[in-house]
Amino acid sequence: MTWLDSTVHRAMIEAALVGVLGGVVGVFVIARRLPFFTMALTHGTFPGIVVAALLGVDLYLGGGVFGLLVVLAVVVFSRARGQDFTAATGIALSGGFALGVVLVSAQDGFSKDLTAYTVGDVLAVSTSDLVITAVVAVVVLVVMAALGKELLLVAFDREGAAAVGLPTAVLDFALLAIIEVTVVATVPALGAILTVALLVGPAATARLITDRLALLFPIAAAVGVSCALAGVWVSTQWNIAAGASIALFCGSAFGAAFVASVVRGRLRSTVDVPVAVTVPEEAPA
Amino acid sequence: MTQQQDRTAALVLEQASVAYGHVPVLEELHGTVRSGEAVALIGPNGAGKSTLIKAILGLVPTVRGRIEVLGVTPAQARRDVAYVPQADTLDPDFPVSVEQVVMMGRYRKIGWLRRPSAADRALAAEALERVGLSDRAKNRFGTLSGGQRQRVLLARAIAAQPRLLLLDEPFNGVDAVSQHALLEAIALLKQQGAAVVVSTHDLAIAHLACDEVCLLNRHQFGFGPTDEVLTPERLRATYGGHALELRGDRVIVTQT
Ligand SMILES: Nc1ncnc2c1ncn2[C@@H]1O[C@H](COP(=O)(O)OP(=O)(O)OP(=O)(O)O)[C@@H](O)[C@H]1O
Ligand SMILES: [Mg+2]
Repeated sequence: MTWLDSTVHRAMIEAALVGVLGGVVGVFVIARRLPFFTMALTHGTFPGIVVAALLGVDLYLGGGVFGLLVVLAVVVFSRARGQDFTAATGIALSGGFALGVVLVSAQDGFSKDLTAYTVGDVLAVSTSDLVITAVVAVVVLVVMAALGKELLLVAFDREGAAAVGLPTAVLDFALLAIIEVTVVATVPALGAILTVALLVGPAATARLITDRLALLFPIAAAVGVSCALAGVWVSTQWNIAAGASIALFCGSAFGAAFVASVVRGRLRSTVDVPVAVTVPEEAPA
Repeated sequence: MTQQQDRTAALVLEQASVAYGHVPVLEELHGTVRSGEAVALIGPNGAGKSTLIKAILGLVPTVRGRIEVLGVTPAQARRDVAYVPQADTLDPDFPVSVEQVVMMGRYRKIGWLRRPSAADRALAAEALERVGLSDRAKNRFGTLSGGQRQRVLLARAIAAQPRLLLLDEPFNGVDAVSQHALLEAIALLKQQGAAVVVSTHDLAIAHLACDEVCLLNRHQFGFGPTDEVLTPERLRATYGGHALELRGDRVIVTQT
């Protein structure tokens, strides 16, 4: 009997891993305004899940591979004139989900697998699931560190990035693929619907706390880990759904940071009033 | 650098036509800008000023004729070309500090998978100093005023140590202080041998800062020394007969 044989221990590690991953990747999700893409991605991987179930291969492998195709479609569509990620996302991902529904309606007997997919269960993760999440976390963090400055430039100023010769489409694909892989790795724990909470909540919370990019990553990761662990703990104490309690903690963290920032803003503006008097350099003619 | 090299052509337009897909935007442009010289691109809205800048960057294709940048094609020259976009095209909420924006000018020379060195940091700090914003280095980019952001973007271009600098309407909505800082920094780059292309609606600035003018409105209405090209007749032709006023040595286009 090893330490990892305990369901709760495995759940804690899984939660910590997806917490870090969601927090760090989420910084780019927020900065590039991609929460909608992230939300929709969970639906877009659906046909992959169905096909994987039909073929009897791993559901998350199926979802992951299909998700990459969807990401490719989004990058290609968004390069058409007058389009951006939002429109391309809507089309590629609703199309993907529809395909999944068509495949499901043509078959019977998926309901059990599919429920696990939509709701998730962090207390059900196996040791091999843990290994996969850990590998994904390491790969994603290494790639983000390696491409950090290029991803930053494309996110901030894509025309400027193109002007210095960076391959903007390849970098877009890299970022969306990072998000996709993170989504797929998080789904077993939180489920397809709630995964977005961990990719948006902690980073959005960090954004309320600091403006500094270098601090956003550690703060978002810390918030992500805290929410994920707190969610698992609450769910084991009171036997409630772990994914939902993690998502609720993410929402609460954001709410608390929001209230704190409003209060702080109020205080600051009261203090600023006497300082804000400026003397014009020249009298108007 | 010898006098000979100083006078080499940094930008050559040879009957160049530029198009987005099948839509021709600019036709038959012809002219030369030498190192150490500045050219003003002047023309009404929709004339194709931004398009020409993008063509010089190799982002929009030249369909006929030729654009030569620093002796090679636009795509090959990118290493030595810096582009200053309009500050208001960038997301003011983006969590990036002023010094990080300036450091972006070094990315191309730093290369993939590497981090900025002490030398890169020194160059970025020096560039920020040149536009007079060293004290704002740690602030978030979006918290600066429009004119200050424009200066930060110029600092980013300076940090890239370009031999050709392209600026798209850098003076729009910029106050006198920022305009002065921008003009000073541009003048210093010219002195150091860089060629400058700047699009503007402000004819006074063309007089002040530029050796040459390119009058544009889908076609070229003149390309040459500022005093020769900025005549009321040519301006009227470029702006399609909109009213023009002459006040002293200043030409003012009243847009109607
Ligand atoms: N991406 C594009 N695809 C197709 N046509 C374009 C595109 N961008 C610009 N154009 C067209 O090219 C013409 C020139 O536009 P451009 O932006 O170069 O003008 P400009 O001189 O910079 O104008 P402004 O003073 O308003 O900035 C316009 O008529 C516009 O319709
Ligand atoms: Mg323009």
